Amino acid sequence: MNEETEERVSELANLYPSRKSALMPALEIAQRKNNNFLSNEDIKEVAKIVGVPNSRAFGVTTYYTMYNTKPVGKYHLQVDTNIPGFLSGAYEIVEHLKKKLGIEVGGTTGDGLFTLSSVEDLGSCGTCPVVQVNDTYYENLTIEKVDELVESLKSGKMPEPDTFSNFGTECNILLKNRGISDATDITVYKKGGGYEALKKTFKMQPSEIVDMVKGSMIRGRGGAGFPAGVKWGFLPKDNSRPVYLICNADEGEPGTFKDRQIMQYDPHLMIEGIAISAYAIGAEKAFIYIRGEFRWIADILENAIRQAKKDGQLNHVDIVVHRGAGSYVCGEETALIESIEGKRGNPRVKPPFPANVGLYGSPTIVNNVETLSCVPFIVEKGVQEFKKIGTEGNFGPKLYGVSGHVNKPGVYEYPLGTSLKVILETAGGVKGNLKAVIVGGLSVPILKADEIGDLKMDYDSCAKAGTMLGSGGIMVINDTMSIPELALRTINFYAHECCGQCVPGREGSKTIKVLLGKLTSGEGTIENIDTILDTCDTIKGLTLCPTGDAFAMPIEAMVAKFRGEFEDLVKRG
Amino acid sequence: MGNKISLTIDGKKIEASSGQTILEIAKENGIHIPTLCYYPNTKPAGACRVCVVEIGTAGKLEASCCTPVSPGMVVQTNTEKVMNARRMVAELLWSSGNHNCLQCEKNGDCELQDLIYELGIEKPRFEIDLPGYEIEDTNSMIQRDLNKCILCGRCIRVCNEIQVHEVLDFSMRGSHTKVSPAFDADYIDSECVFCGACVDACPVGALTFKQARFKGRPWEMKKVRTTCPYCGVGCQMDLNVSDGKVVKVTTNMDYGKPNHGMLCSKGRFGMNFIDNSDRLKTPLIRMDGELKAASWEEAYGYIAEKFASIKEKDGPDSIAGLSSARCTNEENYLFQKFMRAVIGTNNIDHCARL
Repeated sequence: MNEETEERVSELANLYPSRKSALMPALEIAQRKNNNFLSNEDIKEVAKIVGVPNSRAFGVTTYYTMYNTKPVGKYHLQVDTNIPGFLSGAYEIVEHLKKKLGIEVGGTTGDGLFTLSSVEDLGSCGTCPVVQVNDTYYENLTIEKVDELVESLKSGKMPEPDTFSNFGTECNILLKNRGISDATDITVYKKGGGYEALKKTFKMQPSEIVDMVKGSMIRGRGGAGFPAGVKWGFLPKDNSRPVYLICNADEGEPGTFKDRQIMQYDPHLMIEGIAISAYAIGAEKAFIYIRGEFRWIADILENAIRQAKKDGQLNHVDIVVHRGAGSYVCGEETALIESIEGKRGNPRVKPPFPANVGLYGSPTIVNNVETLSCVPFIVEKGVQEFKKIGTEGNFGPKLYGVSGHVNKPGVYEYPLGTSLKVILETAGGVKGNLKAVIVGGLSVPILKADEIGDLKMDYDSCAKAGTMLGSGGIMVINDTMSIPELALRTINFYAHECCGQCVPGREGSKTIKVLLGKLTSGEGTIENIDTILDTCDTIKGLTLCPTGDAFAMPIEAMVAKFRGEFEDLVKRG
Repeated sequence: MGNKISLTIDGKKIEASSGQTILEIAKENGIHIPTLCYYPNTKPAGACRVCVVEIGTAGKLEASCCTPVSPGMVVQTNTEKVMNARRMVAELLWSSGNHNCLQCEKNGDCELQDLIYELGIEKPRFEIDLPGYEIEDTNSMIQRDLNKCILCGRCIRVCNEIQVHEVLDFSMRGSHTKVSPAFDADYIDSECVFCGACVDACPVGALTFKQARFKGRPWEMKKVRTTCPYCGVGCQMDLNVSDGKVVKVTTNMDYGKPNHGMLCSKGRFGMNFIDNSDRLKTPLIRMDGELKAASWEEAYGYIAEKFASIKEKDGPDSIAGLSSARCTNEENYLFQKFMRAVIGTNNIDHCARL
């Protein structure tokens, strides 16, 4: 590393209240300088520049999947094989690439040109199969397109990616600019009334904005559905510490690809939401924590922030984009905070809650992209207008991502409480015979086809139906899919992503993975099925963070509701 | 600690100070809650989930080591739900490593063994899956067997929070998580200074004092409290004596000042001299170029005679005294007094650098 790098790292470090927060950005810089590889020497150098012990830098490097501690080929082909990919042929692409390149998953071709990896959810569920080549997403792939891609790469050319994706909106709030080209540009955004809500905000007291958000009863769109205004209300009064706002853009829940629709196509909507919310809670610094794989989207956001700053919209708040580096658990708010502080993404013990002791020990509010993007509407049109959308206690618009076995997978904006059937029809209808649906991202209990009825897609109705609305990531499964296989792929994901801190999370996910592996390979017993159910039941509510529930609930539901399929595997032997 | 508040644990009304954890107040009141990752004077990790208790009527489980008490709180430490959770955690740990007490140095002094015995588990419901780590045997002081590691993180916390050597951290993640120095190096190739605090902190047999292996079982060991002889700080420690021999040095946080259960590598590992065959047991006087054993009377007489003649011939300033940091302050005081008053010189120094 040279002086220039050191300078760049110091510049980045200046964006944060603590220099240690520059660890992840510095590791990324070092990796880029060394052909996408971090040697021990690189890590040592970074640790020295940032001022952390080598052991910590090594711990952080080996935690996040995007840091390569082994050399990789010139083109790193990363196939997303998570559930939506699994449902749409990702494994066929892996097999094809293995044969075509003559390497196993994890291997590199002799000429050093290609490394093949199977990776977890890339947030492209509606445009699967997807292969990420270095920083670029190649979506909507087929075997033929993969062949073309590889040939092009062999000739040294990264082809232009196909960025087509389906969308639709009934509310015209969150996706109102989705179809307008250049809406990422501030002048286009302003032409449609953008930043008017912020202008209105400045004429009001911060407490009035807080009251509006409270009054709207908007529930957190990240998955938990906790009322955002109530969360804001937890901030301590008479506080002398700085207050931070964090926008959670770590979209990583399998089946979820909604936030990127806003960030990629209408970034100013989110930035305006952040600017209003920061004013309301008194934050002079805000962070956007975006998953590292969305590199180009992070660039879009940084560009939009620059424009907004230049336009005088952000005189009251400094917004920093912090890129993750490959970790599902960092979507959990305390893990995310740890990650911004330059640490392993291990969730913290609660209490204390972030609203009191969060980022750098200061009061911190973490809200999802979609939640914050609703704020301009609430402020501009008023609480009553917002509450006209949706159902009692479940107000406002919602982005539903539909993936898997449907004809038009995509993101569709509907009022909360819209019938699942309507959403599925908009998504082109089910391909084949419907077997089951996972309605809120992978962490929620699966519903059998006959359990769906006229399910309304809101927090309370989903809870009543024995599942959760979660992130609104709907994964549709037809009768060609084996549920035991689906369960195995599900637990493989959680075992891979588990932070490893607590025993039930770490050993529980691994043990269930082993048991499901035995069952699906015909070596299981009936007792194994009961052990899985019993283990899931005990894990719920026992782990340090919500990840335990996130795998125990769906696995338990898959096994309990489709027990016959698991028993057949035992009988067949 | 703040205001007094009252709560109920297992039906017993208890008064606590706000800010205390459930575990702390339970301990104070003689209510037993088993723990694994809890380690005094370090930040509670809430990682093992063994110390979970049931709070309120909703049946919520919380780790007692990191849950603060609150007024009117109703805590139950041994409901069926709590015991189920503890049993599963214990069985998951048992099946995830090489917890064979027959060949373990910590047999009889192992917190996992105690927990499993307390819970009355005869065998785990899960299949045992050994991680297959190579045993680290590359230094002469500490043996590391990560196949026995339960990832409680106590060694990491003691290394970072108390000793502040910052050598250890978690690396990798999920079930691949391991405790390691930077770059997964062996201790001997890392920045480790061998203070041994991690070994004291380890609740199981993952970290053991190498020289003590097979030199005595915990119940055969007599602990003798003493003051470390290496410097004047006065660190308190326990000599572990088996068969009349010191086999290892451990510490006890309850001894308090000055070292609060911490030692440096000298106090911890510098004990080989005790039974070393090269150790001087009688004074030696060099005569005709050869060292010959002498009695203390002969030796003192010889010294007195030589000092007297040197002083008479070349004056008191031809003599200098150098004392040792391993002596106590009182001994050093006496030595300088001797040099000044008896010999009559100010040539006196001290090797305050070890």
